[in-house]
Amino acid sequence: MSDCLHYFETPTQSRVVALPFRLDVYLDDWRELRAQMIRDCPAPFSREEWAYLITFLDPLNLRLPFVTSFGTAVSAPTGAVEAVFRPRGPVAVWLPNNVSLLGPLFLVFLSLTGNPLRLKAGSNAEDLTGAFLEFARARLPNGPLRHYLEQHVVLQQFGRNDERNRSMAAEASVRVVFGSDRAMTEVDALPHPVESTAFGFSDRQSEAWVQRERTDDDVLATLIRVFTIYGQAGCTAPRRVVVLDGSLDDCRSIRDRLRTLWGSVIQQDRPMHVASCNVMARQQAAASGWDAALTARNGSVLAVGGIDLPPIDSLMALAVVPATPTDAVSRLPTNIQTIGHSLRDPHDPQWLKLLATTRIKRFVPIEQMHHFGSTWDGWGYWRQMFEEVSVTL
Amino acid sequence: MLQEHPFAARDDALFLTEMNAITRWHLEACPEYRRIWSTWSEAESVAQLPFLHVGVFKHILFRTNQSEVEHERTLLSSSTTGGKPSRIVLDARSSALQSQSSLAILKSLVGHQQRPLLVLDDVNSLRRRGEVSARVAAAMSLRPLASEIHFLLAQANEPASIKWDAVRDIAASHDALLIYGFSWILWMAWGGQRIPADTLATLRGKRVHFVHSGGWKRLESLKVDRERFDASLLEELSPDSRVVDFYGLVEQIGILYPLCEHGFRHVPRWAQVLVRDPWTLEPIVGRTGQLQLMNPLAFGAPYHNVLTEDLGRVIENDCPCGRQGTRFELLGRIPKAEVRGCANV
Repeated sequence: MSDCLHYFETPTQSRVVALPFRLDVYLDDWRELRAQMIRDCPAPFSREEWAYLITFLDPLNLRLPFVTSFGTAVSAPTGAVEAVFRPRGPVAVWLPNNVSLLGPLFLVFLSLTGNPLRLKAGSNAEDLTGAFLEFARARLPNGPLRHYLEQHVVLQQFGRNDERNRSMAAEASVRVVFGSDRAMTEVDALPHPVESTAFGFSDRQSEAWVQRERTDDDVLATLIRVFTIYGQAGCTAPRRVVVLDGSLDDCRSIRDRLRTLWGSVIQQDRPMHVASCNVMARQQAAASGWDAALTARNGSVLAVGGIDLPPIDSLMALAVVPATPTDAVSRLPTNIQTIGHSLRDPHDPQWLKLLATTRIKRFVPIEQMHHFGSTWDGWGYWRQMFEEVSVTL
Repeated sequence: MLQEHPFAARDDALFLTEMNAITRWHLEACPEYRRIWSTWSEAESVAQLPFLHVGVFKHILFRTNQSEVEHERTLLSSSTTGGKPSRIVLDARSSALQSQSSLAILKSLVGHQQRPLLVLDDVNSLRRRGEVSARVAAAMSLRPLASEIHFLLAQANEPASIKWDAVRDIAASHDALLIYGFSWILWMAWGGQRIPADTLATLRGKRVHFVHSGGWKRLESLKVDRERFDASLLEELSPDSRVVDFYGLVEQIGILYPLCEHGFRHVPRWAQVLVRDPWTLEPIVGRTGQLQLMNPLAFGAPYHNVLTEDLGRVIENDCPCGRQGTRFELLGRIPKAEVRGCANV
């Protein structure tokens, strides 16, 4: 029963959000879990992933979807309530085999909506979402969050041809699919309620756009951290750094400074197969015309060249290319997700015009490239987890 | 160098001279190779010689366009794990040298006698226009030792399709046989199978040399160790029958690294093996690292010096088996882990 009413206000409207728990108590539970997380990192997570998850669970961050979707929290409405939002109903989530932190992050945000959740993890993958769920259930005190995760969240591992896919689709008010275009098409083809809604988060890639004078060591260190967490496997990690109005020499200079900084920013060795793959990628890139170099302990490949050189498809390869803003826009990949920026004046209206005319889904400072939010891939998915009731009193 | 016994004493100075020469040869006429090693100059040790990572051959078809080179067919790796095969352009001059090399190494292991060669593959594998598979290339390196050649599988990747009747008929009229197969196919088709009684009867007491290559990975998953593998193959055969396991790469065709009775791989005197630290690429001895294989027999493309994704350890001092030169242990492939990401991998 979503009988706990929470009040929010925008300058023009008072709203009620009905949840099956008291939000403050619920957020306190997340805060308690966060404290436990600082002491212990379960095995499937890398240290970087776990640290990111801890940061993500900052209470302010968990309140953000409510603020952006419903307004400022108030104890009682100052005017007549004009809208009531209630959880839409069961949510079914298909996660891909190799899913990254997106799985746990999505679980956390969806838990805030109070909707029953059914998640399908890949049948042959290390399952971060399951590991996090298990950790949370084991470490949380008795309270609404633990009750919710135990009673209303089901996570199962099965294959794409399993009958359970069909029941997931048939029973869900909201279907969410992370994966390839093919996976989305398959899930969408499953019989589902007419009134249900669906969100697809498919293959995406991202870039960092910088201006030369905005590439001090802090920016470059951030770029290194943002890139290395998943390399090219992360849809929000930059595959290339575009130096706007820069030259090849500017790119070389940035590349060389990145190389110098790399060892001090990333102190953990990459796995042996990644180090080997980087040696290969360096050679492949050089053969294709890139000026490519390995970073310390073969941790990654940094390649300088023209924007039209063939892309280097390798996990830890990062290209640094010069381009005019016009060329940068015209060479955007069709599946662009995030532009991480470090610009002289990011408030310049030219950037807003750019966003109005391209497929870019997010335009954020480089350090926020991985920040998962209540709007993703262009969808305000989080608010859509609620059904809106118009009210006139 | 090819005139000497493959495991006679090495002439390291001559080897380095040859390697420097062939490196310059490729740098002069292979643009992709030159772009990769644009600043290289003469090496004073084999460790300074420029190599190509084995994975690059999956992405780039290298060709050295010297006027003397006559390019022929393309050799394809088996690509059992990566999906995409390596491609090596063969040429007439190198092929002749490589045949000479592999024959010399094989003769040192199975003798000079000509006898029927039975290949655990499908005859159709020979008929791919312009391309040749790693399996066929390895089998054909035994051709000079063959009085006749028979392909034993009706389907290339189906060990159960072995034609036992053909084995029986060939064995009935010969005292010695030479049999080649990829290690896992040899086990699945022969060593791990019950041989039909009439075929077994004709094989009994015959001298058979089994030659296999291709690695132990699949056999490990079947929990088959070397002792069981060899014993099963040699059961009921003549006591001078043998199982010869050699390591080699498509990217180093012509060079075979046989396993000796003391468990070490031996490097012929016209090749060399280094081990490198995967994170620094520094050459290491006595510790495990990535194997680098080199030989001066490849003229058509720069596959003369290859950093592999196989792990090994070079052992100092002489082997009790009596073979001279470098010896090493082969310790499997670099372990791979799943790449974690979003939806795009």
